Amino acid sequence: MTTTDVYEAIAHPARRQVMEVLRDGPRRAGDLAGSFAMSRPAVSQHLRVLREAGLVAEVRVGRERHYHLNASPLRAVNEWTKRYQEFWESRLDELGRILDRP
Amino acid sequence: MTQAVQVERFYPHPPAAVWRALTEPELLALWLMPNDIAPVVGHSFTFTTKPVAEFDGIVHCEVLEVDVERRLVFAWRSNSGLDTTVTWTLHPEAGGTVLRLVHDGFDTADPLQRIAFDAMGGGWRGHIADRLAATLDRRFGVVLETPPDVTGTLPAG
Repeated sequence: MTTTDVYEAIAHPARRQVMEVLRDGPRRAGDLAGSFAMSRPAVSQHLRVLREAGLVAEVRVGRERHYHLNASPLRAVNEWTKRYQEFWESRLDELGRILDRP
Repeated sequence: MTQAVQVERFYPHPPAAVWRALTEPELLALWLMPNDIAPVVGHSFTFTTKPVAEFDGIVHCEVLEVDVERRLVFAWRSNSGLDTTVTWTLHPEAGGTVLRLVHDGFDTADPLQRIAFDAMGGGWRGHIADRLAATLDRRFGVVLETPPDVTGTLPAG
């Protein structure tokens, strides 16, 4: 799994919607299709992308497939924005030193 | 989905001094990057840093708003897909200045934008705020870990 997969996975509003629903607990594929104005194949396709990015896990329960949210890959997204936070924090520290110069 | 980075600092110097450090190219270069800024709406300027992968090392900026010694807004764009806005606001307080930065418009869905981040990432040290972490916590219920080495660098005061 690469970070790019995660970015591509969360880029689509429908997939973010699926993640929001799964946040409340595991769902069956049929339940998910019922939750959205989407065809079952469309939901399956989005679930496939989310699974490939590691954001959703599929668990077989008897004859059914249940989908669980796994949000830990989002940590990579968080790290990415932290870079700029860190950059500005350090630059503004440096600005303080410049201002303090006699 | 876009995200903003925000930083606030108090400096024991009047807004006029802070404003100069934000708007005079030679002073700005001392703490940020080489540039040709001018506090004039519509003025286009650049910051230059080291190129990384597809990022050519040039940040293309355009001044969008100027309110002398109070507020400065400019676009911050790169050839690697970054299309963001930097907003500085200055408030006089207790004989000094509260300087606030909002760097807005990071498109977390765009992998190319990471290249521009990566160019900024090497060798910079500082304190990390966890605003985005908190946002993700709320939205997705995931607990984001703070790297243990970061906690030690937090300021005492």
